[in-house]
Amino acid sequence: MNKSKPAAASNKVVNFGEAINMATRQAMELDESVFLYGLGADSPAGIFGSTKGLVDRFGSKRVFDTPVSEQALTAMAAGAANAGLRPILVHQRLDFMLYTMDQIVNWISLWHFKSSGRSRMPLTIRTIVGKGWGQGPQHAKSLHTWFAHVPGLKVVVPATPYDAKGLLLASIFSDDPVVFIEGRSLYAMKQEVPEAPYLVELGRALVRRPGKDVTIVAFGSMVPHALEAADLLAMEGPSAEVVDLRTLMPLDMETVCHSVARTRRLVVAEPGWRMFGAAAEIVAGVVENPKVSLVAPPKRVTWPHSHVPTSAPLEAAYYPDAKAILAACRATLA
Amino acid sequence: MTQDDQTNTALHLDLYRMLVLIRRCQETIMNEYHPADEMRCPVHFCVGQEATPAALSLLMRPNDVVMSHHRSHGYYLAKGGSLDGLIAELYGKATGANGGLAGSQELSSHDVGFFSGTILSGMFAMATGAAFAQKYRASDGITVAVIGDGGMEEGIVFEALNLSAVFRLPILFVCENNIYSAHTRIDRRSLSETVSPRAAPFGVLTHILDGNDPILLARELAKILGHIRKNSAPAFVEVVTYRTCGHVGPENDDVLNYRPSEELLKWKERDPLAILRKTFLQSGIVGKDLEAIEKGINREILAAIKRAKEAPFPKIEDALRANWSNATAPVVGNISNSSDTSFRSGQAETRLAPY
Repeated sequence: MNKSKPAAASNKVVNFGEAINMATRQAMELDESVFLYGLGADSPAGIFGSTKGLVDRFGSKRVFDTPVSEQALTAMAAGAANAGLRPILVHQRLDFMLYTMDQIVNWISLWHFKSSGRSRMPLTIRTIVGKGWGQGPQHAKSLHTWFAHVPGLKVVVPATPYDAKGLLLASIFSDDPVVFIEGRSLYAMKQEVPEAPYLVELGRALVRRPGKDVTIVAFGSMVPHALEAADLLAMEGPSAEVVDLRTLMPLDMETVCHSVARTRRLVVAEPGWRMFGAAAEIVAGVVENPKVSLVAPPKRVTWPHSHVPTSAPLEAAYYPDAKAILAACRATLA
Repeated sequence: MTQDDQTNTALHLDLYRMLVLIRRCQETIMNEYHPADEMRCPVHFCVGQEATPAALSLLMRPNDVVMSHHRSHGYYLAKGGSLDGLIAELYGKATGANGGLAGSQELSSHDVGFFSGTILSGMFAMATGAAFAQKYRASDGITVAVIGDGGMEEGIVFEALNLSAVFRLPILFVCENNIYSAHTRIDRRSLSETVSPRAAPFGVLTHILDGNDPILLARELAKILGHIRKNSAPAFVEVVTYRTCGHVGPENDDVLNYRPSEELLKWKERDPLAILRKTFLQSGIVGKDLEAIEKGINREILAAIKRAKEAPFPKIEDALRANWSNATAPVVGNISNSSDTSFRSGQAETRLAPY
């Protein structure tokens, strides 16, 4: 893997939202065909800071607010991308994207295919998964599995500011349509990132923490909990290897299987509903691999197969955290 | 004949050629379809509706874009799509406009700016993006979006009309109102048989035109397109026309008795080719000239069919690989890859602030 750092190694501490802002600004400076729009895209609040200041820097031709018409806005992204522009469409909640499934599945996902490769959809749809403060069933869904299931789409789920910046740049400059899923609850997370633009390659998982006794595969908002669980487990002795998928499609099963081939125990932590989810895909991919043999049944740590309740104590009971992942690890070691 | 008359006659002959090309293309494919059954995809023929695409063929430029519904062969040919590409695509061959992956319903030709798709209203809406890009780049191109009266009932249509007006997009919306959505007549779907009033409340200029008079259409659409090009503002044109063939496939579906035979007969008498032929009587074009045009076009079409039959099929491996381009923008060459495993231990998700 190319680990070169930019020549002038000047870094900056930013939070997740600021990292997204930085990537967007740099993409728009590098390429005039990049533009950003969506409900509230140019508002002073700047979509939790992620678009703040961009309209002042680039003007309303390239950063603009819109009517409340997600379907047509998505169709517009498709038409503009087909013409060679690089639209970034932002939804403040993934739930709002559901208006647009026809545009995404029936048009965007298959456009390159049905043109036999002649036409492309170099667009990025940024979307935010709500969590906490009573978001409730209509403001907290994560349907990464739906998007990863549809051929023709790429699905990116960063877990750190560093990856948010690099993956967003890679997504914007990919000629394939990318659904870029951001956990709202990660937005205040801080990290040092290079000031210069850099790319984090799509489709490459990352071993965030090496270990030898059990592999925890996680993505998005489950990554901090996976790392915390690994810390807690270490106090009991065993070492967990934490693999951050970073991209769901393309899915890097090679890194996952390479890890599980050594540890022989698998826990998958997914910020989504239990049934027919991404964790099931990862378990299947590991179990199918003739080079991997498990010494314990794999465990999935996911949201319950239920909608999210709004009341605060119910919400707290709903979301699995480090303790749930720790329990799953212990189960594989028992 | 004056200079104007000569120009007009030349234009009318161009119109006629396009009408004949579309009509003979449709009829020849309909004849070839069964029993050979080598064209194995649903085809939605446009017999009777040729006048609008033919008129547009005189008015569209290479950097204009057409986005059409599934009854699209007329618009494909009018925009300059290759006859070979069309026919081979129906045969599912590698030489088809889309390498055999799209068939008739989703035909496209990126190089001539023609796109289509069959999920109703999708192309109508995507056209806003095509027009947005033309305006963004300050190109002088405009976008033509084609829809039927059935598609006009989908919700995204209203979003797209609003968007086109609010963003001042250079887009011509064309609704072919042939009063049927498959076999369901418009009076069963709407309290109004006219669709253009739906665009007006959004601030889009609307027009209703006779969809079977090629010369009238060429004249009026020229004015409307001129206005769009000059002002970068959308317009909506309802062309009243009729499909004299079946909804899908070469078969005649009038056995289903879904439309009155008097209605069908009335529209057959308004055949756009016949309407145009009448004007040639005044301008000295004789039947022999028109026959020569038809003979030439028939030859071209039959030759394209022969070439399509002989062409190879695509490979499944190529199709399976066609879902993603995996390409990147040129600027990527100037940005380095980077990766960082660091993560401040103990940095759990933060508690959200209230909204």
